[in-house]
Amino acid sequence: MAGNRTKTGIWVAPSDAITRAGLRPKIIHLAFLLLVLFWMPHISAQNCVPPESMKPRLQGHADAAALKDLGVWFAEQKNYACAANAFATSLQTDPNQKDVAHIAFMFGVSLYFSGDAKEGIAALQEAEKLGYKDIKLHLILAEALDAAHDTAAAETQWRAALEIDPEYSDALDNLSSDLIAEGNFKGTIEVLEIPRLVSLRTAQQSLNLGLAYAKLNKLDDAIRVLRDGLNTTPDSLPLANELADVLTQMNRKEEAATVLEVARARQAAEPAATTH
Amino acid sequence: MFSGFRSSSSSFLKGLTALASFVVVLLSITLLNRHSAFPGTSESPAFVYAAQEQPRVLSPISIDYPEDGSVFPPGITPPTFLWRDAAGTSWSIDVTFADKSAPVHALSKGERMRLGEIDPECVSDSNSPPKLNTQQAATWTWTPDAATWAAIQSHSIEQPATVTITGYRDGQVAYSRSHVAMATSRDEVGAPIFYRDVPLMPSAGIGGAVQPLAPSSVHLIHWRIRDIRKPESHTVLKDMPTCANCHSFSADGKTFGMDIDGPANDKGLYAVVPVQKHMTIESKDMVHWNTDGLVGKVRVGFMSQVSPDGRYVLSTFAGPAVDRMIDSYYVTNFMDYRFLQVFFPTRGILEYYNRATGLRQPLPGADDPKYVQTDGVWSPDGKYIVFARAEARDPRPQGQPHATHANDPNETQIKYELYRIPFNEGKGGKPERIIGASANGMSNNFPKISPDGKWIVFVQCKNGQLMRPDSQLYIIPSAGGTPRRLRANTRLMNSWHSFSPNGHWLVFSSKARSPYTQMYLTHLDANGNDTPAILIDNATAANRAVNIPEFVNISPDGIDEIQVHVADGGK
Repeated sequence: MAGNRTKTGIWVAPSDAITRAGLRPKIIHLAFLLLVLFWMPHISAQNCVPPESMKPRLQGHADAAALKDLGVWFAEQKNYACAANAFATSLQTDPNQKDVAHIAFMFGVSLYFSGDAKEGIAALQEAEKLGYKDIKLHLILAEALDAAHDTAAAETQWRAALEIDPEYSDALDNLSSDLIAEGNFKGTIEVLEIPRLVSLRTAQQSLNLGLAYAKLNKLDDAIRVLRDGLNTTPDSLPLANELADVLTQMNRKEEAATVLEVARARQAAEPAATTH
Repeated sequence: MFSGFRSSSSSFLKGLTALASFVVVLLSITLLNRHSAFPGTSESPAFVYAAQEQPRVLSPISIDYPEDGSVFPPGITPPTFLWRDAAGTSWSIDVTFADKSAPVHALSKGERMRLGEIDPECVSDSNSPPKLNTQQAATWTWTPDAATWAAIQSHSIEQPATVTITGYRDGQVAYSRSHVAMATSRDEVGAPIFYRDVPLMPSAGIGGAVQPLAPSSVHLIHWRIRDIRKPESHTVLKDMPTCANCHSFSADGKTFGMDIDGPANDKGLYAVVPVQKHMTIESKDMVHWNTDGLVGKVRVGFMSQVSPDGRYVLSTFAGPAVDRMIDSYYVTNFMDYRFLQVFFPTRGILEYYNRATGLRQPLPGADDPKYVQTDGVWSPDGKYIVFARAEARDPRPQGQPHATHANDPNETQIKYELYRIPFNEGKGGKPERIIGASANGMSNNFPKISPDGKWIVFVQCKNGQLMRPDSQLYIIPSAGGTPRRLRANTRLMNSWHSFSPNGHWLVFSSKARSPYTQMYLTHLDANGNDTPAILIDNATAANRAVNIPEFVNISPDGIDEIQVHVADGGK
């Protein structure tokens, strides 16, 4: 299956079913169209050769649907620059086509995967404004915004993803890490201390939650969370270290020593074990 | 003198040591012999390890099941104990009893948690195979054999037993330990559980419209019955040619009712038959919800309930003010198999069907078109009805975006409140709001009244009803009062509950362990206090879901099969 996988593991197939709900073609943002038009000369320089089977549809004045299909084909070949070109042309050809939000999303994703993160982010944000609703939009956008160090905007996108799937672990990992990084410990607890999520906690979430409690001097809670996390992911050295730190803070040095002893023994027994 | 004293003192100490050793050996033999009274348990008692333990602070183990304070029904099949432990590489399980009987001791090298069998017919592109979550993947298990479990149960009646799990590494040095208390109730469950067993296979139909199940897969729905003392359920109905929905038994277990769509998808049918070991539903058993002007054109019943004496069936209908079914229900289906449907009425009145006269009539006081009145259930004496009510509204206001997932804010918002009304032989009365299950900013729905009439257990969630991820069970005195959240609530979806005929047990559905719904039990005491959830193991394949569990007041083998012969759709 053609497509691409983002850092958070989300699979993006260009031919994903289109979410039509809430689309309002008439309110396409002028800025978005300008962005597309601005971008066109840059990508049109690429050598984008369509497949023989599609050439009849593309001769003369190709319609928007044919251009969209061409974009999907390029994306399936992982030729994202050409895919972006095709989607942009499709949008320009018919800004009122019924799948405009989905095409805008595919345009944004293609830009992002082609290496143009800045324009990709802008296009994905436009797709969101056009009403495109899919968790993949939020996950890709959040990841791109995090990479661009726009943490506040990334947080909004992680939260939007979690509204759709409250258990999505990558979103929880990244959102809580963003919150920890900015010192928002109370916010971290609000995100992670939810009964529904307890049995699904990753090592990263346990670590972030334990850190948040420790920073707020709620050391008993920190120990509870870190111990439970370590029981779930015994090979996590960061969890063992943090737990030992908190135990030491509470003057429970013997327990801390045992935690580190077991962690060391596990690492020695399984040197290839991951830390998370 | 001093040296003589030292000499005699040394001899005395040697003698004392020898005597002590003898006593220890004698005690050990005695205890070992007592211990071996439990078949299936290990020959190595806990103190053998205890003697080798080094003094250290032991790390806590996370014991996930049974939870502390769990109460098991007598005779239930052996549960699988679950724990997580960063320190141990092997474990001992010791069960000690308040009645001072000999402890049970077992060893575990650690078996990982495993998923149940897969039904290949229910594997689909639109669902995912069940998988262990983060916690489950790290879980160790121990399942006592039948004899050991019987011994544990017999010595933990009323007075809790203590289950201690100890983790060892490096040649039996103890590194970790935790314990939980569990007990066995004197109260039998006393009745089998009838439930629907369904695939979770949403399907994109014509035009992309999502269906909860493709028509070609309807035959995969099974109805099963479970005696919790048996390791497996018994299928009583399958390969139905048509979709059937909510079922209901009368309190005396003599009458069975079920919504049946009919092969022609005529949704206006209801089957009412006497309960028998071999039941047959034929066209003559089908009720056609009649369509006179009094009760309206739309004749789709919702949450129908057979009265305790089997004379009436109570249900929600759209009422005379509504012409089309779609004007009375909010329904949205999703391709996410975990929560694939939102479905609740936004308009409707309570009507009762008199089996003797064959007529269905509105219930005065619960027939106000300004409200949606639904989820009606009978009190055990049949004298009053408890139901959910909210202001009526359009199910899908113009311009409202489609919801794309369960609990999407774009769902039509509705918050039900519980009301109570006298049945009064069909004359109804004035509805009274139930304090504690109303006006609390939540949707209060799906009430069930305990067989002694003292309690109502209902569902609370943010919006609507049925299959809500955030649904939680609450208990309240039947006349109203302060609601109490049940201890048995699990992390994800708690609903479809049903009281055992003796009122001591509640069965309910939950997605706590898997998106493929399972069913659980909780014990209720005379004060309405409940206990942590007990899983009913092996109720279906790991990739099928259990829903609408209902206790049936019959013997465990009271229903062997149900055959449906309604080839003409009951017309």
